[in-house]
Amino acid sequence: MKPITLQHKSKEELRTLLKTSAKKDLLLEKFSELDMPSTKSEAYRYFDIQPLMEQEYKTAAFIPREIKEHDKIEIVDGIVKTAPKGIRVYYGTYDDVDMTHFDPLYYLGHLLTPAVIIIELDGDIEVELLHRFTKSQTLFAYRLVIKNQINRHATLYETFEGKSAERSLVLYGYDMHIAKDSSLRVLKNQTAYAPHYTMIASHKISVEKQANMVFKSFDFGDASALTLLKVDLDTSAHMEAGHLLYIGGQAKRGIVSQIVHKGKHTSSHQEAKNILDENARGIFDALIKVEHTAKYTKAHQNSKAILLGENAHMVTKPQLEIYIDELEASHGATTGQLDKKQLFYLQSRGISQIDAEKMLVIAFANTLIEKIKDTRNQERIKMSFEEAFYASNRTKLLKKTDQ
Amino acid sequence: MIQIENLKANIGSKEILKGLNLILEEGKVHAIMGPNGAGKSTLSKAIVGHYDIEVTGGDITFKNHSIIKMKPEERALEGIFLSFQNPVEIPGVNNAYFLRTALNAKRKHEGKEELNAAEFLRLMKGHLESLGMKSDMISRSLNEGFSGGEKKRNEILQMLILEPEVIILDEIDSGLDIDALRAVCEGINKMKNGKRSFLVITHYSRILDYIKPDYIHVLKEGRIIKTAGPELVAQLEAEGYESIKDESI
Repeated sequence: MKPITLQHKSKEELRTLLKTSAKKDLLLEKFSELDMPSTKSEAYRYFDIQPLMEQEYKTAAFIPREIKEHDKIEIVDGIVKTAPKGIRVYYGTYDDVDMTHFDPLYYLGHLLTPAVIIIELDGDIEVELLHRFTKSQTLFAYRLVIKNQINRHATLYETFEGKSAERSLVLYGYDMHIAKDSSLRVLKNQTAYAPHYTMIASHKISVEKQANMVFKSFDFGDASALTLLKVDLDTSAHMEAGHLLYIGGQAKRGIVSQIVHKGKHTSSHQEAKNILDENARGIFDALIKVEHTAKYTKAHQNSKAILLGENAHMVTKPQLEIYIDELEASHGATTGQLDKKQLFYLQSRGISQIDAEKMLVIAFANTLIEKIKDTRNQERIKMSFEEAFYASNRTKLLKKTDQ
Repeated sequence: MIQIENLKANIGSKEILKGLNLILEEGKVHAIMGPNGAGKSTLSKAIVGHYDIEVTGGDITFKNHSIIKMKPEERALEGIFLSFQNPVEIPGVNNAYFLRTALNAKRKHEGKEELNAAEFLRLMKGHLESLGMKSDMISRSLNEGFSGGEKKRNEILQMLILEPEVIILDEIDSGLDIDALRAVCEGINKMKNGKRSFLVITHYSRILDYIKPDYIHVLKEGRIIKTAGPELVAQLEAEGYESIKDESI
C-alpha cells in the first residue's frame, strides 16, 4: 500500500479503496475533507511527511490471538500478545471518535483499524505498555481506547521496540477517557533510531470533571516521529504535559498539540525541553484554546531548546486562542546554545569542556526528568536519556578529540 | 608564583588593561584596590582565561610557564582558582556531584586515585560545618536559589576542597552581612599555609580587617600605579584614589 494513493479522494473513492462499511461514512467524510497530509498541511508542515506517504508498504494482517498473562501489556505489530492479570484488555468497536480532531491521520487510523484495543485500567494501578514492531517496510495501523475508573489513580508507562522494523510506518494512537475525579499519568519513553520505524501517533484525550491528566513524553534517538495530541478539558479538569526531546542525525521529531479548555476552572501546564544535535529538527507546535464556556481558566505553556549542532533547528509555535477575559494565561519560547557563563564556571573548576557540556545537557534534561515523582520510573527514563546521550555521535566525537 | 608582565587586554574592542605589571609572591596576600572601571575584574578574568577577555599583549606566567594559551580548565588544574563575584546558578547540576567531578578531575591530573561518593561526602562534611553551611546545600542544584551569602560560602567550600595554589577573590565581600563575611574570611584564612598566594580584589577596606594583606596594589586605568604595604589602606580610606600618584612610569 502507498498512502499517497489516498490523497485528494472523495468519500466514495475512499470507501472503495479502504473497503469500509457504511458505518464508517462519517469518518470517511472527515478524512476526505482534511485530506491525506502533505507538506502543505498545517499539522505536518515541519515534518517530512511526503517521502513517508510515497513509500510502498506491506500491510500487517489483523489476526487477533489469545491474550496471555504477563506482567505487562505487550502489543506486537498491532496485536495484543500479553496483559497482566486483573486488567481488562480486549478488542471492540469505538463509537466516540472525536469529530473535531485536527489530524487527518487520526481518522485514517480509525478507518484502517478493524477493531480497537480497549484497555480498562481498574483501580489504583501502574501498568506497563510495550509496543513492538518486528517487520520491515510495513504499515502498522492500530488504535487503543484507554479508560480508567472514577476516583482512581493510575499510571501507564509506555515503551517501544522496533530494531527489525526498518523503514516501517506506524500509525498509532489512543482515545483516552479520564474519568471524573480520577487521575491518569502517562509516561512515554521512546528511543528510536533511523532507519528503524517512523511513528505518527495521533491521540485524543478527554479529561472529565475534576480529573487530572499527566502526559509526559521522552523522545530520544535519531528517528523521525510526530505526536499529535488533542486534549479536551471539562470543568475543573487539569492537564499537565511535559515533553523532552533529545534528537540528532536527520530526525524530525516533536509534538503538535491542541489543548482545549471547555469547562470552567480548568487548568493546563505544558512544558517542552528540546535538545537538538547534528541536523535534527525539533517541533513544538502547540495551541491552547480557551472556549467561551471556560471562565477562570489557567493555561501556561513554555518551550526551551538548546541547539548543539550547527545545523540543528527548532520550530516553535506556541499559540493561545482565547475567547474569554476571565483567565490567567502565558506562553513563551527560547532557543539558544549552551550557556557560556555556566560552561565557563564549570571549566574554571578544572572540569573539561566536554564534561562540562555533558553536565549541562544532562542538567537541562534533568529539570524535566526529575519532575517524575516516583524514583523507579524517574531512574528508567534517566537511564534511557543517558544511553541515548552517550550513544550519540557528538559524544563519541568529543571523546575522540579529548584523547 | 604568578608573574604578569606588560599585560594588555580588551573586552570587545575596548582596551581595559594597558600594560599591567604584577608579581604574586608565594605565600603572600596581595590586595588589589581601585576605582570602578579600573580593570580589577578584567585582571582576574584574564588570569583564569575568561572568554570575554582578549589578551592583546604581554604575558602571564605561572610556575615559570606562560598560561596565556591555556584553557580555563587547564589553568584550574594547575592550581589557579577564582572565587566569582556573582557565581552563576546551574539548575539540574547537583552541587555535590559537581564538586566531586571537579575534585576527581584534579586528582586525576595529579595522578591520584579518584574519590568515591562516600569518601567525598566524608571529606565535605567537616568543611560544611566549619563554614556554617546547611547539609542540604550539597544536595541542591549548584547555586540555584542560594542567597548571596550562601553562594559565597559555596565558593569557599569549593576552594577548601580543591586546595588551589593561587586564590583570586573577586569582591568576595560584596553582598555579605557581618556574620557571613566573618565566616567566609575564616574559611579563607584557614587556607593560608605559607605557600599559597592570594589576590584579593576589593572596593572596600573592610575585608582587609579579616584577611591581612602583605601588599596593597592600586589599579587605575588598566595599570598598577602603586604598590605598598598594608599602611596604604588608611591613606586610601582618608584621601581616595585621586590622591595616589602613578609611580609605575
